[in-house]
Amino acid sequence: MAIINQATKELQVKIVYYGPAMGGKTTNLVQVHDHVQTVAGNKGKLVSLATSSDRTLFFDFLPIEAMTIKGFKTKFQLYTVPGQVIYNTTRQLVLRGVDGIVFVADSQYEKMPENVESFQNLVDNLNTLKINLAEIPYVLQYNKRDLPNAAPMEYMEYLLNNREVQVPSFGASAHKCEGVFESLNMITRMLLQKFISQSTPQLA
Amino acid sequence: MYTLPQLIEEDIQRIVAALKAFNILADATATLVIDKGGFLITHAGDPGDLDLTTIAALASGAFMANQTIAGLVNEKNFNSTYQQGEQFSLFIINIDDHCMLVVIFKSQSGVGVVKYYAESTVNKIAQQLIVAQKRDPGKGFNLSELNVADPQEMFRKKD
Repeated sequence: MAIINQATKELQVKIVYYGPAMGGKTTNLVQVHDHVQTVAGNKGKLVSLATSSDRTLFFDFLPIEAMTIKGFKTKFQLYTVPGQVIYNTTRQLVLRGVDGIVFVADSQYEKMPENVESFQNLVDNLNTLKINLAEIPYVLQYNKRDLPNAAPMEYMEYLLNNREVQVPSFGASAHKCEGVFESLNMITRMLLQKFISQSTPQLA
Repeated sequence: MYTLPQLIEEDIQRIVAALKAFNILADATATLVIDKGGFLITHAGDPGDLDLTTIAALASGAFMANQTIAGLVNEKNFNSTYQQGEQFSLFIINIDDHCMLVVIFKSQSGVGVVKYYAESTVNKIAQQLIVAQKRDPGKGFNLSELNVADPQEMFRKKD
């Protein structure tokens, strides 16, 4: 859960990038880190706990401070999870305390089963934390739109965004930084709107 | 759902007072109270140029990973980890279901004294968290006062 620290006037929010292996979750964080406009000192280091072949082993972590709202500094903590199937326990750990999710799907046709499996895995892991997917803000990012074998957006919508309530979705080419900030700003907007409507975040 | 009790400034002041007293007794450099989701709640001491935000995120992950490993080998009595360094060492101990204490101390100091005083400090913090838990749980901060004008533009891409 997000933390509002009244003593230091800070709002802390945790956003997790989830999705299948090699889908572009880490690339999203790298692009945010490289391209975000911030006041000096408001962007932390990008920490990657990766294997020697640059596959995420535990998580990537990027703290960013956004604008001050009515005297409150808003601190966002962006995490990725390891996409490989074997790291499910790690994904559960990273999801703990999550406030919002960016699901990064791989647009290539042959990756559709992995997208669906990963999304179901997200639902299952949230359930183990007693969180219902419908209760948590999330957006869908259809990454790798620039590849020739990318499936049509409509097809991906049918596969991944076919629930009672449809969520915002974005086409993206994360390595070109296309769709990255659109996804991040939308999840941010949804989170803040949720907090404002509920007005029951944690106080610290 | 996983949740911290609602803490007000008085809670934070009491927790920081406990941390400051602990730092003196245990000769600790800095002591952090963090949430198991990886958030830094508060800290005391002189961290210098240490990046406490990142330390909190990594310490939370490391502790939780070790706790999970302990569970896999049927160890039910897991509540702390110790990282021995050449310059600084790190001791992490569970406070309750939601929080833990992270102690950064010079390696020439003994971990024994840190462990010894950490026990009573953890109890004090846990007690304060219970006080917070018993306080009116419906009493929240009204975020509508924040008046988020245009969150669409919260993060801008450099030109």
